[in-house]
Amino acid sequence: MPIYTNTYRQYDGQPRHRFRWLVVVEQELKTLAKFRVFKLLCLAAFLHIIVRLLQIVAYDVLAQDPNNPLQLIFANLDVVEIKASTFFGFLYLQTSVMFIILLYSGAGMICNDVRNNLMEIYFSKPLTWVDYALGKIMTLVLLGLSITALPGVLLVGLHNLLLPGMETLQASWWWPLSIMAYSLLIVIPAALCILACSAQLPSQNYATITIIMALVADSSLAGLLAGLLRQRNFLGVSFPLALRRIGEVLFKDTRVLFTLSWHWCLLFVVAVTLFALFIVLRKVRREEIAQ
Amino acid sequence: MRALDGVTLSFGKGATGLLGPNGAGKSTLIKTLLGFVRAESGAIRVFDLEMPARAIDVRHRLGYMPEREISSPKVSAVSFLTYCGRIFGMSRVDALERAHEVLNYVKLGDSRYRNMETYSTGMLQRVKLAQAILHDPKLLLFDEPTNGLDPDGRIEILNLIQDIAERPGVSVIVSSHLLPDVQHVCSQVVMIDKGRVVQSGDIQALTPRHDNHFEIRFRDNDAACVAALRAAGHRCERLHPGNTWLVQCAGADGVRTIFETAARCSTQVRHLQPARHSLESVFLQAVGKD
Repeated sequence: MPIYTNTYRQYDGQPRHRFRWLVVVEQELKTLAKFRVFKLLCLAAFLHIIVRLLQIVAYDVLAQDPNNPLQLIFANLDVVEIKASTFFGFLYLQTSVMFIILLYSGAGMICNDVRNNLMEIYFSKPLTWVDYALGKIMTLVLLGLSITALPGVLLVGLHNLLLPGMETLQASWWWPLSIMAYSLLIVIPAALCILACSAQLPSQNYATITIIMALVADSSLAGLLAGLLRQRNFLGVSFPLALRRIGEVLFKDTRVLFTLSWHWCLLFVVAVTLFALFIVLRKVRREEIAQ
Repeated sequence: MRALDGVTLSFGKGATGLLGPNGAGKSTLIKTLLGFVRAESGAIRVFDLEMPARAIDVRHRLGYMPEREISSPKVSAVSFLTYCGRIFGMSRVDALERAHEVLNYVKLGDSRYRNMETYSTGMLQRVKLAQAILHDPKLLLFDEPTNGLDPDGRIEILNLIQDIAERPGVSVIVSSHLLPDVQHVCSQVVMIDKGRVVQSGDIQALTPRHDNHFEIRFRDNDAACVAALRAAGHRCERLHPGNTWLVQCAGADGVRTIFETAARCSTQVRHLQPARHSLESVFLQAVGKD
């Protein structure tokens, strides 16, 4: 005869969470942190930040110090100079790493739950489809911003700390705003497009391949149109180049690739984003409420 | 084609079985109670709350074990259950504590830290059961809870469900196409066929006693006793488990005959009870395949 029988206690606790999407975010990040590839990708993103950090130190400390033997080298190097376009360059390069991280993290986010029959379990709890969708979207958005906007803003802060003065502040007060705006512009559409593919396709691999092929096709089409019609503004059909055009405006970069109005580019980006959002929400809602 | 049509039902306390062939509408009924499927017309009230308008409130008090196999790669059973608890609204500590408690209860305590992708079907069924009871719901919906299980695993899961159903204030609805499962766990049954309720009620009432039919077990010498009974014109049929016999006595004095035959064969009757109509015959009659 057993000395005791396994049982469980009555649960009298009151549900506390009002923002259940935060629980989804927390769980997704916890799960992602278990993957070695994910950690390596984050490290890769971090390396670029280190390089930029060194650049800021070189310009703000070494290039400003007349007694430093390296001053002459750094003071005459254009690439070391810290200006608005430095941060545009930082974000532009960081975009590819961010995209790979989001693709790795997000391509299986919805389809794996569907394939593993977890949706029924989640939605049998007091979790709405809005909480679920918001949780997944916010995970990718926060992940994306943590390697774009966050280091960007921190680097601007560091630049102001190392080179204090009204001149620096006057020149750079709008940089964090541009960094935030551009980061949101690159992260939100990427996150939603990846989730839309994840929602529509049966597996993580299919979603990854589809999104890469769509990007390649879009960029090829833009190149073809621009070449055939001898009109560089057709490059705006390429999603990454449309984003770049908006970035050029946000950071007042004069090295423009094409002169298509940024309004059209923004419209294109917003349209793609809204379409992707519609697909994600529709799929997740259908998982909770069968039509 | 409608999955459910003209269904009027109410479920009380205790365990109720939803019986029906595949595609009868059992899962649809359960999903309607959960608010996953919206009824075109009619009203559904769970805990006196209007569905699907109050679906979230209802889901606070409801646990669901789905039919389909689940998995969560790279996640241990403890993590998965903690996450389920957190979704329910528990604090991190409460969720973790409950996760350990229910995993012990469903006898997964030893494997709780293993990734779920390494679990067998039986273990995954237990995880599904654990997540359903995690928040101590007052209504539990089990959709084909013994799917894909071996006989031992099936009995273990059914015993756990039975134990849960006996907790005060808990209602359990078990959907299955396996009659023995329902008979093992439930006191009430609802039979569904082609989206309609064809029979419902208390299992005891639906399976009345046969006149002159008895389930008996002899101490030993079964073969001689059965041969003697058959020679006397009684029908004998072996039941499961193997040493139990169903005897249909020819005359009104059946019990006396059985004891006399046992005495003649130098053995004893160790078990005798009036036989009931089987749930299977009631079900076949209800779906018109008698």
